Amino acid sequence: MKTRLFASIAALLSTPLAASEPVMFCERPLTAQPIAENTWMVEGLREELSTSNCGHIGNQAFIATPNGTILIDSGSSPRFGETLKTLIAQHTSHPVRWVLNTHHHPDHFFGNAAFDEAEHLTLASTRALMARDREALIDNVERLTGRSLARSHIALPDTIEAGEVTLGSYPLTLYAMRGHSGGDLVIMDHATEVLFLGDMGFYQRAAATAHSPGLQQWQEELNDLLGLNARIAVPGHGPSAPSNTVLEQTAHYLAWLDQRLGNAASEGLGANHILAVEIPDAFNTIALTEYEFTRSVMQLYPRYEARLLWGTPQ
Amino acid sequence: MATPTPIITLPRLAAALPAFLAAFIWLIVMLPSPALATVNTAEQDPLDSFMWPVYRERFLGDAPVVFDERVIVSAPSFAEDSGQVPIELDARGLAANGEPITDIIAWVDLNPIPRLFHYSPMSHGLAKLSLNIRLEQASAVRVAVKQGDTWHVGGTYIEAEGGGCTTPGIAGADNDWENTFGELQGRLFATESEQRLRVRLSHPMDSGLIPSLPAFYVQSFELLDQQGQKVAALDIEASVSANPTLGLHMRPSAEGYVIGARDNNGNRFSIGLQP
Ligand SMILES: [Zn+2]
Repeated sequence: MKTRLFASIAALLSTPLAASEPVMFCERPLTAQPIAENTWMVEGLREELSTSNCGHIGNQAFIATPNGTILIDSGSSPRFGETLKTLIAQHTSHPVRWVLNTHHHPDHFFGNAAFDEAEHLTLASTRALMARDREALIDNVERLTGRSLARSHIALPDTIEAGEVTLGSYPLTLYAMRGHSGGDLVIMDHATEVLFLGDMGFYQRAAATAHSPGLQQWQEELNDLLGLNARIAVPGHGPSAPSNTVLEQTAHYLAWLDQRLGNAASEGLGANHILAVEIPDAFNTIALTEYEFTRSVMQLYPRYEARLLWGTPQ
Repeated sequence: MATPTPIITLPRLAAALPAFLAAFIWLIVMLPSPALATVNTAEQDPLDSFMWPVYRERFLGDAPVVFDERVIVSAPSFAEDSGQVPIELDARGLAANGEPITDIIAWVDLNPIPRLFHYSPMSHGLAKLSLNIRLEQASAVRVAVKQGDTWHVGGTYIEAEGGGCTTPGIAGADNDWENTFGELQGRLFATESEQRLRVRLSHPMDSGLIPSLPAFYVQSFELLDQQGQKVAALDIEASVSANPTLGLHMRPSAEGYVIGARDNNGNRFSIGLQP
């Protein structure tokens, strides 16, 4: 019944401006793929921040509702945000009224400034991490993309609590998680059964673990998300796919990584011993696996040694 | 032999990949067959670093030098945290033939304190060692192993950039020594052929290069048998990471080993490890 109601609203909303010229960012067309009724995603390149991709590496999604458009994540620069705004206007005449930021990594909230007439919202835990890391993240994005950011335009969003929320008249369920970054907002749209994972989910692009409080916690939370039985998931990086497919790929990779690190630490081996292992075929088709695996080993191995070798809780 | 070993660049940029592959294929095609030999003359530095002649002279003196693939230096191709870069040396392939190995010296070409360590395997150490190092910038890392009167040199190149989803320097793991200063922890893992020792000393390893922080670092580790006889020795510099964590590989010993350490302020630390 709910679905039917939204279907009729969809009819009202489906009067986008004629998509005339392709929207370009960093010399490539920027496109929005429809993934459900009134719902689109914009997929970033499955790469690390670089001069050649101008920072367009993370996904964004938007939901057109009768009271305005809800944007989930805004990309890694105000300039990108401006381009995204133009793209959104090709698909819906409703301007963005809410920006939800899934976590504190720069490729997910540095584009907020382009939507200054909208409310910017995230979890309190995420906002605290944004405040902590803002300066270092700006430096990092500038260094890796070779472009300067208008520092004062990288502002922090307001906070919103997890649970059932209504934006305008549009209901969403927000989940507060921590596995990927220490403050991860996951958004469920029950009307379309789309789950917006932020970087809690990576699909066909290897998971980044730099700020994970622990791979076990991340895996437990992925398991909780599986229980939601969403139809489609939008990961933070990589294409959308059936929800279980996305969640299981992220979970399998993290389980493998967790096991490699745990085994090596328990045996008193050095980090290079782990780096020398062959990456299973199942993960080799995923973009950036070797790179992220190398990073994860360096980030996480001291913690595994502390826990498994020295017996110090961390 | 005029073909330098390619410097392994970060394979993370899809855009760079075709060029990387092309260079790789070119090298395979162009590589003359003598390159397959394990020993190389010292005339051409495989890592093509302008500092090679300087440090060769400073650390290795007039002794004969060969580049030798049996001196294996493992490291990640890039540093995620420039304060903690894990490296591993394995020269057991070299040790298996010929005279005993007497000295192992390692350095980073472009670090302000280039030298990393001087390891003397003596009677009980095997030619294998792992530890974490500091990397000021992308650089060649060298290990020279002395067998007889000849230095056998191996190395690797490490890029020095962190990634995008992360924020370098925020982790702050290097400051946790304050509450646990001087804590020396160790575990011994015995196999038939070796005893693997993993040792961690809580210590800041301040280099003295930061004006407000005087030099305060561990200078030496030594391995003793149960009779107190020194059976291997490792001198380190402040280019070794804070909270030095060592992987040592020793000949099997029924009673295990005692590990002692000393810093430049005269503090002494010690722990005994039994199989
Ligand atoms: Zn992230």
